[in-house]
Amino acid sequence: MADHAAPTTSGTLTCVVVTPEQTVLSESTDFVALPLFDGELGVAPKHSPMIGRLGYGELRLGRGSHAKRYYIDGGFVQVLNDVVTVLTGRAIEVSHLDAAVAREQLRTAQGRKANTDELLAIRDRIITQSRAQIRLAERGTATARH
Amino acid sequence: MANPRALDKRRRSVRNIRKITRTMELIATARFKKAMDRAHAATAYTERMTQLVRDLAQSGAEVKHPLLAGRTETKNATLLVLTANRGLCGGYNGNVIRAAYERWTQLKAEVPKTTLEVSGKRGITGFSYRGQKPDERFTHFDDKPSFEEVEVIAARYLDAYAAGTLDRLDVAYMKFINVARQTPVVETLLPLGSLSVEAGPAKKGQAAEAQGQQTGKKGEVQYEFLPSAESILQEVVPASFKVKLFKCFLDAAVSEQVARMVAMKGATENAGELIKQLSMTYNRARQGRITGELLEVMGGVEALNK
Repeated sequence: MADHAAPTTSGTLTCVVVTPEQTVLSESTDFVALPLFDGELGVAPKHSPMIGRLGYGELRLGRGSHAKRYYIDGGFVQVLNDVVTVLTGRAIEVSHLDAAVAREQLRTAQGRKANTDELLAIRDRIITQSRAQIRLAERGTATARH
Repeated sequence: MANPRALDKRRRSVRNIRKITRTMELIATARFKKAMDRAHAATAYTERMTQLVRDLAQSGAEVKHPLLAGRTETKNATLLVLTANRGLCGGYNGNVIRAAYERWTQLKAEVPKTTLEVSGKRGITGFSYRGQKPDERFTHFDDKPSFEEVEVIAARYLDAYAAGTLDRLDVAYMKFINVARQTPVVETLLPLGSLSVEAGPAKKGQAAEAQGQQTGKKGEVQYEFLPSAESILQEVVPASFKVKLFKCFLDAAVSEQVARMVAMKGATENAGELIKQLSMTYNRARQGRITGELLEVMGGVEALNK
């Protein structure tokens, strides 16, 4: 089990991503970009303590083309003392995403009946999830080609 | 005295059984270790979740959620029973079923509409034998329950609770306390009594250091909430329920492997003892026969000499 990394003195962040099944990653980096529920948030070292709700989208560690990219499936983030803790249901490396599968999921979701509020909410959730996956998967292959 | 050949045959068959039980014990041990690792890995999430909830509570956010408050009247109740798909694991299935059945009869007496959901073939047959047809059956949970699979079930309960078609959810499973102790329990997961997910005491080091750096005061970190503490809480509650349910499945999986391991160890030992005993009787029978034959020969010689 990944232990809490000791807070570093300066310049680095520790990013810990945990799902109910396992600790997906625990790494130090200099920058983390998080998909919050309403848009992206960048976290650099010495960020003030924060708890936020996550949306569906991309988690980036590091900057530029060397960045490690993950797809995050909602959840929460806690930033405290240069430790970014991400609690999420699923975290998948972008290279492991499959656009075709996501597209299929989107198509079936769009065909779903939504005659009650709850069903509508479920359908909307699946649609946003699969759209985010498609976006990420396609961008992932695009950068790989360059 | 028994026939030596029959005894030998029996001894051979017991030996074969011992081979099988020994192998099963080894397999169960390996699976137990894997299941244990999985359960261990899951605690990271629950620990952090508990910490998050504590921080939220400290910030003064009022912990209020329809899932936390009980209903005044319980009209619909569901009992979920987690058993194994396979037997040969001692009293594991029997104990869970017995505990669940007790709660089931109690629920039936108290609540107008009850639903029975059983995971595991053993539980399904066990309840059918007692004349209770499970309304929902799952047999796809083995020694590695995945969060995705559990989440589907959890989401269904949450939706039903929100829609008002479910007022209470009980889960019967074998709780894993340590390798030597597992007890069958029936827990009420909905409404959620408290938010804290059971986990070991959270590590204090991180929080203490944070206090030193961020504020001069003890025990307070000023968090910024995006979008707000209340809205985060709205999301935390269902997530915490899902994790709790997932933990039940993990516990059940670990307990099953432990139970099988112990049962098979006992079976192997018993087989060894039986072999010992059979060997002794076999040797005695063989010796008895030889002695008898010798006596006969000697008797014949004596008769000839006369």
